[in-house]
Amino acid sequence: MSVATQRSGGGGGGYVERAPGGGSSSLADVVELILDKGLVIDVFVRVSLVGIEILTIDARVVVASVDTYLRFAEATNRLDLYEKGGKDLPGLVQGITEGGAKGKTSGVLEAAAEKVNDMLASNREQQEVRRRPARQRARENEE
Amino acid sequence: MSTVEAEKPTYVYGLVKADAVIPDGLTGLGPSGRVSTISHGRVAAIVSDVPVDRPLGVRGDLVAHEAVLDTVAARGAVVPMRFPAVVEEHAVVDELLAPNEDHFATLLDSLDGRAQFTLTGRYEQDAVLREVLLGDDEIRALREKVRELPEDASYYDRTRLGELVVRALEQRREVDGAGIIDRLEPFAVATVANQLAAPDDVVNAAFLVERGRQEEFENAVEGVGEELAGRVRLRLLGPVAPYDFIPEE
Repeated sequence: MSVATQRSGGGGGGYVERAPGGGSSSLADVVELILDKGLVIDVFVRVSLVGIEILTIDARVVVASVDTYLRFAEATNRLDLYEKGGKDLPGLVQGITEGGAKGKTSGVLEAAAEKVNDMLASNREQQEVRRRPARQRARENEE
Repeated sequence: MSTVEAEKPTYVYGLVKADAVIPDGLTGLGPSGRVSTISHGRVAAIVSDVPVDRPLGVRGDLVAHEAVLDTVAARGAVVPMRFPAVVEEHAVVDELLAPNEDHFATLLDSLDGRAQFTLTGRYEQDAVLREVLLGDDEIRALREKVRELPEDASYYDRTRLGELVVRALEQRREVDGAGIIDRLEPFAVATVANQLAAPDDVVNAAFLVERGRQEEFENAVEGVGEELAGRVRLRLLGPVAPYDFIPEE
């Protein structure tokens, strides 16, 4: 059986999700693609001469933190390890996938993407954005 | 000297060969929305006007930069500029194209007939956590301990459990990620492995692919995706401009 690869539009049939470039990409894709990449020529360093203010974009999101650890601990705790009377590993793996179970920690990345969104939407609030994880942690500790 | 007129700032998206046909319907990030080219000799710059009433770098600017470049890249060779690239209008020829014509022409030749694809992969979370648990006694024991403790008494152990799981994922993905890249490298002219962000990211790699082998490459990716189904979810972005294959100056 051959599976047709999606040439455009993404989603649909194949095993691999497809995303064409050229204006239909998500902001997260765009940031990852273009930031800090491409040709740099001396002449562009003198941008200030032109009198254009450039926002600095720092979208590197560091997710290795206590927050990340707690999310993965929670996802691990949630797992029902010996469900359905002890299948072997491949069987278990398959079963879980077919069930379409979606992990809790996908929230980490969504949160990160949101953070990037925030940063790009209002760059001047970068400091505010950077402070947020600390506040999230604090909230979690209170709970 | 004091009478020099204010120059028109110009945004430069990237470079193409002078004879390249730029597709219609591109939308620039400037107030006019128009995108055009300025050519010199064998090379040309894809340019537009620039917003002057606000700082450059908001979401729409990034998206426009990418959309222009990737739409052009879908048809032919393009050298993307690093965002954001602004010069005075006269400098596009005087300082960008003229002094670098040979260099740019060579670079464009080397990218001719090639496009970038970016492959990302993420573990199917429950499947891989199950593997981690079944494969590590310490993690399994710690999980049992955490499950028996009330939440407020288990903060330290939960953090430790999460840390061990994250480390285990990072070890696993090193092998899995390299395996994926090894399988696809033969179909590409060049490959770049990018840094991974989240612990359950398995792969993030850019492949420079000959257009003539695009289908072969896509089928190979699909084959890897089929093999990994249920364990790793792959996502293929492209064809896009060769962002990861521009040599550092």
